[in-house]
Amino acid sequence: MIGVLIFSLFVDGAGYVYRVVNHYPLTGSVPGLPPNFNGWQLYTHYGLDLKGGTDIQLQLTDFPPGQDRASVQSRFIDVIQKRVNALGVSEPTVQPGGGGNHDRVEVQLPGVGAPQALQLLGRRDKLVVTKWVPDPSMTNTALPFPGYKPQITPLTSDMLTNAYAGLNPQTSVGWVVNFQYNSQGAGIFNQLTTDAYSVCQSQGPSAAQCHITNWLDLTPDDIAQWNTRGPDLYRPVDAGGHLVSDPQIANGPIPSGQGYIEGNFSQDTAKNLSILLNSGSLPVNFSVLQSSQVGASLGAQSIKLSVAAALLGLCVVIVFMIAFYRLPGLLASLALLCYAGVALAVFKMVPVTLTLAGLAGFILSVGMAVDANVLIFERFKEEMRAGRTIGAAVDAAVRRAWPAIRDSNTSTLITSLVLIFAAPIQVKGFAVTLAIGVVISLVSAIIITHNLLAIVLNFGWARASSLMGVARG
Amino acid sequence: MAELTRPGVAADEPARPAVEAPTRRLDVIGRRNIFFLISLVIIIPGIISMVMNGFQLGIDFAGGNEFFLTFQNNPTQKQVEAAVASEGVTPLVQQSGQGSFIIKTPQLDPTKFQSDLTKKVGPIDGTKSSYQQVGATIAGETVTAAALSIAVASGLILLYLAFRFRKVQGGWTAGFQFGGSALLALLHDVFLLCGIFSILGTVFKLHIGEIDSLFLTAVLTVVGFSVHDTIVVFDRIRENMIVSSRLTFEQVVNLSIMQTAARSIITSFTVVLVLLSLLLFGGDTLKGFALALLIGIVSGTYSSIFNATPLLVVWRRLQPVGR
Repeated sequence: MIGVLIFSLFVDGAGYVYRVVNHYPLTGSVPGLPPNFNGWQLYTHYGLDLKGGTDIQLQLTDFPPGQDRASVQSRFIDVIQKRVNALGVSEPTVQPGGGGNHDRVEVQLPGVGAPQALQLLGRRDKLVVTKWVPDPSMTNTALPFPGYKPQITPLTSDMLTNAYAGLNPQTSVGWVVNFQYNSQGAGIFNQLTTDAYSVCQSQGPSAAQCHITNWLDLTPDDIAQWNTRGPDLYRPVDAGGHLVSDPQIANGPIPSGQGYIEGNFSQDTAKNLSILLNSGSLPVNFSVLQSSQVGASLGAQSIKLSVAAALLGLCVVIVFMIAFYRLPGLLASLALLCYAGVALAVFKMVPVTLTLAGLAGFILSVGMAVDANVLIFERFKEEMRAGRTIGAAVDAAVRRAWPAIRDSNTSTLITSLVLIFAAPIQVKGFAVTLAIGVVISLVSAIIITHNLLAIVLNFGWARASSLMGVARG
Repeated sequence: MAELTRPGVAADEPARPAVEAPTRRLDVIGRRNIFFLISLVIIIPGIISMVMNGFQLGIDFAGGNEFFLTFQNNPTQKQVEAAVASEGVTPLVQQSGQGSFIIKTPQLDPTKFQSDLTKKVGPIDGTKSSYQQVGATIAGETVTAAALSIAVASGLILLYLAFRFRKVQGGWTAGFQFGGSALLALLHDVFLLCGIFSILGTVFKLHIGEIDSLFLTAVLTVVGFSVHDTIVVFDRIRENMIVSSRLTFEQVVNLSIMQTAARSIITSFTVVLVLLSLLLFGGDTLKGFALALLIGIVSGTYSSIFNATPLLVVWRRLQPVGR
């Protein structure tokens, strides 16, 4: 037990000394933090409600029939993971959910606002490349090219080997997205640009078929109704349309599969598009089931207030225990502090992600720890009144209080375990800290308080009945 | 009247045996009907409110959007309400501290909503704001999961208690009597807590009376605590049934209540101290939670002493096992 205590102090102490010495923040992940076991770092993991950030639950829809749902879900997660990683967020999590249906994904992005997160995740954003084909039924004069409609080419963003944002390589003014197709994509792209270039040569650059057009999320269904929907679809993405760029292939075919997309990008929009292209396309559609966002300083305030309240509560309890139980109360308070230290160390080691509800669970488990001590002390008083010696009274008190402590804590443990497995996700953090707290409080009450009492009672002065808060009966 | 029909009996009554002395301090079992009545007086209005009005549902259960927005220019509630109303949604705006408002809306586009409010009211401090959107599917699942977990936890606790108390006189039947009484006391606490919150939320329309997943957590904790308290008393009854075999069951129960009352009250008092500090100084989000726990734990202590044990006595009379 003492070993665990020293270890927990070592875990906390070494970490904090390192942080202070190197001027790192006192919370969160810092590079090279000791004790560091093969990349397994020890620090308090805070939930999004405490450190700020966005939590989004996605419902996957339109699963392609016949495909293994689990593998579709994991491909989906891969793509999302790539997009999230490209954001440079610390400790993002992308988790599968939905049980056997494999139709849920939860994304947690610390420090990212909901609008930014939804912009990146909230759309399927599939790059579609089209050429133009003549169709005499396209009579709407508001169409970009009356008499023509787009035709989707087999090029997909999965054929891209790389895409990155950069300044326009020819003019060095304005942002573009550079891309590089793999050999398969380059072959298709070469054919497309060759065809388009020959039209440009023969009919001039304003001809429809001189263009190769880039879209986001243009569907075959859209094209089937091109005559009516075309004018709306052929608008820039930020103006509510689907168009990314519509370049003329006037400078000759592109055999290398290398090029860039111009589209009036800002640095951010160019970067976002390159992230989307790099991550590949999502295998299925999705809708947002739930999203929540917490401002960073709001979370910090919650931590501050809750910690202050917890400390205040702890102090009041300690004062009360000492006033009421004298020496045993003091020892119980020491045990309580050990308990809090051990519990926090365990939270770091597991690691448990502390949320607001989790903090509440922890504070509550402190109350449970007090209860175990009170049960023992009340029993101790009784045994003293019955005329036992101090040593015998301590042993009898611990032994006789045990069934009550065991049964009551077991029932709390049962409740928390049920909660961990069955409860809604918001409640789980609470249940985890409560369960851990209950187990540690059992150990703290039975072992630490008992041993402390036994050790201290070896000294003659400690046996004075005034210190015991008991009148000998 | 008693003296007329049985003259002299009351005056000549011999002193009670010494072992019964503690029971005379507060005869919980003898006065059980008073304590049942006190519980009913609190619970019945709550149940009526639950049936008539239901609850003020939080975002996690009702679905929709909940914004917690902090405006930098510290607007009045009227200004914010007007701006929200002009968005064409039924506004529910509650002020929560300096410049901060809780705004609840049905499903809408959150980004547009926030930028509209920025235009109409003033700039929003993003770091001091939060936002939550819950779809109807999730909301329904939360309720189901909650109800299910309460039912499963209660069932398991009943089984565990029956198992632990099966060795008292009367075997498993007695075990289930102990477990069942604890469970009834637990239901008492759950109904009392839910009833009070229903009244707070729907009759007084207070934000603190809102039912969300933290409230759910509180209910489940109270379930744990209530059983915790009850078990301590029951455990003492179990012990005293063996030690003091001369006493009647009712006397054993009363003795046990007296022996454990100090512990029950002290423990609840310390927990109440922690919760009071959370309620008074804790974050805004935790206040409703702290209040729920406060009510639940006081009720849990009350019910373990004044409801669970008298119920056990009544049950044992209706279904005698041994003495």
